[in-house]
Amino acid sequence: MTARTEAEVVTDTSRLRAMLSSAGLQLLNYALILLLALGVGALAIAASGKDPVAAYQALLRGAFGSVRALANTLDRSTVMILAGLAAVLAFSTSVRNLGIEGQLYMGAFIAAWVGFGIDGLPSLLHIVLAFVASAIAGAAWGLVPILLRTRWDVDEIVTSLMFNYIATFFTAYLVAFPFKSDTTILPGTDPINATAKLPRFIRGSPLSVGFPMALVLVVVVYWFLFRTKQGYELRMVGMNPRFAAYAGLPVKRSALLGMLLSGAMAGVGGASLILGFFGRFITQFSLGYGWDGIVISLLAKNNPIAVIPAAIFYAGLANGSLEMQSATQVPTMLVSTVKGVIMFIVTAQVFLRHLARRSPR
Amino acid sequence: MAEAVAMLGITKQFPGVLANDDVDLVVEGGEIRAIVGENGAGKTTLMRILYGLEKADKGTIRVKGEEVAIPNARTAIALGIGMVHQHFKMVPSFTVAQNVVLGMEPHRGVLYEEGQSRNDVLGLSSRYGLVVEPDRRIMDASVGEQQRVEILRALYRKADILILDEPTAVLTDSETEELFAILRRLAQDGLTILFISHKLREVLAISDNTTVMRNGRVVGTVRTAQTTSDELSEMIIGRASLESASRDRAAAKVGEAVLDLEGVCVHDARGLLAVKSVSLQVRSGEILGIAGVEGNGQLELAEAITGLRPTAEGRIALLGNEIQNLSVRQIREAGVAHIPADRYAMGVSADALVWENLCGTSYYEEEFSGRIALSIDSILSNARVLIKEFDVRTPTLHCPARNLSGGNLQKLVVARELGAERAQLVVASQPTRGIDIAGTEAIRSMLMDYASRGAGVLLISADLDEILAISDRVVVMYEGQLTEVGTVDASTRERVGRIMTGADL
Repeated sequence: MTARTEAEVVTDTSRLRAMLSSAGLQLLNYALILLLALGVGALAIAASGKDPVAAYQALLRGAFGSVRALANTLDRSTVMILAGLAAVLAFSTSVRNLGIEGQLYMGAFIAAWVGFGIDGLPSLLHIVLAFVASAIAGAAWGLVPILLRTRWDVDEIVTSLMFNYIATFFTAYLVAFPFKSDTTILPGTDPINATAKLPRFIRGSPLSVGFPMALVLVVVVYWFLFRTKQGYELRMVGMNPRFAAYAGLPVKRSALLGMLLSGAMAGVGGASLILGFFGRFITQFSLGYGWDGIVISLLAKNNPIAVIPAAIFYAGLANGSLEMQSATQVPTMLVSTVKGVIMFIVTAQVFLRHLARRSPR
Repeated sequence: MAEAVAMLGITKQFPGVLANDDVDLVVEGGEIRAIVGENGAGKTTLMRILYGLEKADKGTIRVKGEEVAIPNARTAIALGIGMVHQHFKMVPSFTVAQNVVLGMEPHRGVLYEEGQSRNDVLGLSSRYGLVVEPDRRIMDASVGEQQRVEILRALYRKADILILDEPTAVLTDSETEELFAILRRLAQDGLTILFISHKLREVLAISDNTTVMRNGRVVGTVRTAQTTSDELSEMIIGRASLESASRDRAAAKVGEAVLDLEGVCVHDARGLLAVKSVSLQVRSGEILGIAGVEGNGQLELAEAITGLRPTAEGRIALLGNEIQNLSVRQIREAGVAHIPADRYAMGVSADALVWENLCGTSYYEEEFSGRIALSIDSILSNARVLIKEFDVRTPTLHCPARNLSGGNLQKLVVARELGAERAQLVVASQPTRGIDIAGTEAIRSMLMDYASRGAGVLLISADLDEILAISDRVVVMYEGQLTEVGTVDASTRERVGRIMTGADL
């Protein structure tokens, strides 16, 4: 009996050690990925005859080097956090929503329309209305692909992806013709009213209440996924649909809800850019934030909280690259190399883990 | 006979588990050696080390008297060691002959000699009585034939030491008999056979000597002719007396029909009729065993009753109310619990945490959630009660279910399905497959307890011993149809065996 208890104590402490070392390993893993990606980037910089150290110093300075740089990075991270949440909501529910970019466009356009189309509302109400409308627009853009999936088993990877093109070209048409504005040379809508603009914090930086709002939404999504009935259903369906069906969970309804919430979050992300940064809808405004969101959710391993650091890191890369280019003439495109290496390693890890699980020990 | 294999002082550490702890195993040439023990006792690890699939941390291996290092399977094969895995590793679209020669095809120049390989396979086949059809594709071959192909494949590679990992788990009784005849002939021919098994009856029937392993150590090796099933199970469990779960049929109080099927037809995944107009009754307090070789419609029948598969025709009544084609949740709420055959893919969500698995069928009830939020506290305290009551061994409620061993994972399923105590009918498919003796006994007693509390149990099992041990009444399913065998008595085994292989039809 005593021997047995001892054995149990031993396994308990070894388990604790295993848990701690696994958290440490995770951090080490991320550090190594980052190091490797920056290393490949450094090789590319050196190969073009420039100084990698100086380039990376400029990158860091541009991203986090001053209050204003930091504020700008946080501002840019806002839409990335929201797009990341959109991806987390979809992927933890087994909905493979590749239409986040399109949903972002639809949300952005509707937010702009509400922003300039309605006059005389109190600011708070106007902003809330614009966000709600953009959420509905984003969700609606996900509706057709997910209904095709739940009704006829049409793969939503393809349909949601195709809907991106419809969204970008449709909104491009809208601002080129029916909503064409004379106030701008770019194809875009009229500027939104002052009451719809997100209040900013710092003079000279677009950082707005959009950022804290995104942080609040992170907490809400976390709570929803891990503490509510429907969040539980969504995650269980996502982890093992056969188990979910066997246990009597609403598999199709969960897929539908997962896509709608994902689309709504993407729409809100688009709105945050329009109401907080651009002040109007312009074509090609997004720079692929919907795709960034997917990569961010991969980096964050579908954990809503981890979306925050992942998005800030990505935003820092984007902002820092501008400073890097102007200070050291290393083109901003270099950052794509670094991102590409990260993406490559992260997906390879996901894939290898999948393989390791399938093979018996 | 000379020594064929000697493994001395073998030690293998996996993270958190000492799989082999200073294990000695010496086997003579021409011997049939059974290696028995519970899941996780270290049998398979030891064999994988011998076959070069794992590397031992310590210890030496001698093959035919010479000390060797076996870093990979290629080396093992070159030393004359062959292994037939539990799950076959073949190319389904290739023929039997092609699979046998795969990797060392007879050839002339660069050209593959199809005729030569057919002849080689037929030669080996007739020499050892391993009946196969060389031109049949593997995907069309029966499980028994596939296994014979695996054995032929080892023999083709000139194996004289053959490892079989739970070879009978997938076989019917008559296929098992055939396999044993083959193994005896191979042993007479001088081959050494290492036979891993859970089933003591088979071990006693086939082996010369039996090595028992427990917790990574060898408990002992005995001459099989001089031992008994009781002695072996004592060595395996390490307990003086094992109360073997068997049904006290006299005490069973059988009542009204709980489940009543009439003319039920169900299609399989390919749209073919898998259940053909089946009628049956399960009464309260009764365990009805459905015996039969897997793939004869049992899975489809269980899925139709539990709502996972549409019922094409007929009616299914639970306590007089029709439940066919209702949703899974409606059927569960009407009082049906389901222990599915595939516990890893369906019975649990392996990546979800233990508590998330335990509340899978009850999370939405008033006790466990408000209108929106889950009441995590009451879910967790209920989960604690369940794992205690059903003896689910897990370090914490907050680890993924995949960390649990097979037996504990199944106890988790049983805890969730039976713990709520509202089920009137339990549909249990292959409830103890691949589970060690202690776990099997525990799960069978849980099912018997549940029946004695007035529920009906529909036990679907390919393991005839299990059916005979705990069911009150037996039917056999063969090609989608049921044949009633009746209450269990001494002649049941033989009758069931004839019906389930189609001999009596």
